[in-house]
Amino acid sequence: MTIRIARFLPGIAGLLLVMGSAVAADTGDVKNGKLVYERYCMSCHGDQGNGQGEAAEYMSIKPRDYRQGTYKWRSTPSGSLPLDSDLEHTLINGFYGTYMPTWRVLDERSRRDVIAYIKTFSPRFATEKPQDAIVIPPDPGYSDASVARGAAVYVKYNCSQCHGAGGQGDGPSAHELKDDWGNQLVPYDLTKGHVKCGDQSTDIYRVFMAGLSGTPMPTFSDSLSSADAWDLVHFIQSLSPGYAKNFAGTAANNPTGDKK
Amino acid sequence: MRRKGSLQIFLQLAVFAAVMLVFVSPASAIPAFARKYSLRCTACHEAWPVLNDFGRSFRDNGYQLRLGRDDTVTADPGYWPVAVHIVPTYLYTKVTNQSTDQGVKDIGSGGVADAGMDLLMAGVLTKNISFLVVPTGFASDGNVHLESYWAYFSRVIKDSDWLNIRIGQHEVDLPASGHRPLSLTDTYLLYSYHPGVPGGSNLSAYDMGENQKGLEFLGHDQTDLTRYSISVFSAQDSLGSRNALSSPSFYGHFQKFFRFKDGPISEAEIGVWGVQANYPTQFLTSGGEPIPGSGSNLQASTRYGVEANVWIGPTVAPLHLDVVYGHGTDKKELLLTADGVTPADRAGTWNGGFFEAIWVPPADLLHWSIFGRYDVIRNQKQPLIAAPSNYNNQDQWTLGVIYTLSYSIRDEVAFHAEVSSNKVKGVGIAGLDQRTDSIMLGVDFAY
Repeated sequence: MTIRIARFLPGIAGLLLVMGSAVAADTGDVKNGKLVYERYCMSCHGDQGNGQGEAAEYMSIKPRDYRQGTYKWRSTPSGSLPLDSDLEHTLINGFYGTYMPTWRVLDERSRRDVIAYIKTFSPRFATEKPQDAIVIPPDPGYSDASVARGAAVYVKYNCSQCHGAGGQGDGPSAHELKDDWGNQLVPYDLTKGHVKCGDQSTDIYRVFMAGLSGTPMPTFSDSLSSADAWDLVHFIQSLSPGYAKNFAGTAANNPTGDKK
Repeated sequence: MRRKGSLQIFLQLAVFAAVMLVFVSPASAIPAFARKYSLRCTACHEAWPVLNDFGRSFRDNGYQLRLGRDDTVTADPGYWPVAVHIVPTYLYTKVTNQSTDQGVKDIGSGGVADAGMDLLMAGVLTKNISFLVVPTGFASDGNVHLESYWAYFSRVIKDSDWLNIRIGQHEVDLPASGHRPLSLTDTYLLYSYHPGVPGGSNLSAYDMGENQKGLEFLGHDQTDLTRYSISVFSAQDSLGSRNALSSPSFYGHFQKFFRFKDGPISEAEIGVWGVQANYPTQFLTSGGEPIPGSGSNLQASTRYGVEANVWIGPTVAPLHLDVVYGHGTDKKELLLTADGVTPADRAGTWNGGFFEAIWVPPADLLHWSIFGRYDVIRNQKQPLIAAPSNYNNQDQWTLGVIYTLSYSIRDEVAFHAEVSSNKVKGVGIAGLDQRTDSIMLGVDFAY
């Protein structure tokens, strides 16, 4: 039997070499990324990256059309392409309440490769560079006073027009909203205990300052001070049951306000 | 007389084919999940029905993606947690060294097998409580039984993934799932093997690949790269003993996965596993027959071993190599000689394992899967000292190819072709070796 196995060893070694040569050592292998995309992403985002996969028509929140290079979750300013790390953030965390799951379980190489492939759908990535990530100052800390100030900011910036007075996504304009592709949108219900683009305080702050490209959610970076933005973050956190109780008075121990 | 002999042989072959098809009626891919989450089968299955990393994590998390659309309230109202799986097959089987009135013959027979059906019902009842119920059978014999039924409690301690509890009839956490094999004709010999006594019997019917009734404690890290499973159960097919667990058994499995950022090997895994299944050997009797549940003097079938997996090339289209080794012991009190009463001379010990290769060619939208497996059993100590040292040694190989004609977020249809051969030392007529060769062509579909 040993002799029989030995006969196959050169063949096995050859096959390993062939398989091994298919793996690129550098970052973001587009060829492998295509395989990752076909296995995990294509059913929603489509084989052309146009957001029209077989599952798309059944979804109330439509999958992203990659061709414009327009992404909701970015650390970069409004209008900019996202950084690779932004796309990886989306892969790792998913979008709560949508069909976009977390792909945290995927190995880093697969994530790297699929990001390289997704970028090929938009010509912008070949001609433009993403801007630098916006700078997020430290969270001054959750407090009742900050929540109260944030409530005033919420009114001042007319957030209730879409998100409703109670933050439940039921404002007067809630049923009139559409994204850049003409799909009906529903403003996010901020009372669910989770925020779609991430539960970290910095995730919420980032949405105010970077906006959600392709949606009616604008950037307020030109008009909203960082102090007001943090107050607004705390107000939104206070809308989720239990959040205020968990975070009130913990600023000293948790200066960024991020959930552990 | 001749007719009776032929009928007997035909029945033997029919039973053999039926047993194989029962064994290979796996609780495999569950398209209900594909419908629920709008993901194709390829998201969870490396090669249908073998799970990949994402599928393993999804299963370990209680069939939850944990993004607010899992339970019966938040899921799409159109979702119905039921799927159907059927495998119509043509099977040709040839068995050597059969006893006939015309002497020792090789007998081959083929036909379209009587397909059964799995009704796969699974989902999330409420946050962190999920379930699986699998009635299987529905073939022309009219039999239906519950292959699996369990409830799974995830994150029992706060938000930790390190303790999840499964209650009910479940498959223990095997190195390679006996219910999700690629082969539709051969089971893993390591899981079901028992040392043989010529003409005798074994009071232990333990089969690692069979689902067991009991509790499973399972835990893992956030990315499912370090995981453990401990099952406590009452082993199947036992007459039962006068204990809190009538056939108390314990299984444990620990796995550690490693990932490599560069180089030809993308992922590797090592693991250890072990099981002790205890069966009663003495019974109160009524009219000379054992009274179920009256057993005592529990004796153990013990198995333990190691495993290693390597994924070469990208994890999404890998060459996946899997090797599992195990050592087994059946206590001599379990092994009865031909008179059905006298125990064997000594415990039977053996070594076994399998090597399996699965390749998903990185082309054609991952439609192809090619696989091969080699199973081996080598007896170390024969229960009867006088028995030939290689009695009941086994070698088995399987080669197969699967072409997935269609996979979507609703269903999957795959063509399946397979050849296999199993050779057993000394169990044929007059101590001859016996070989079973088979060819199988099937259509495996689920929706």
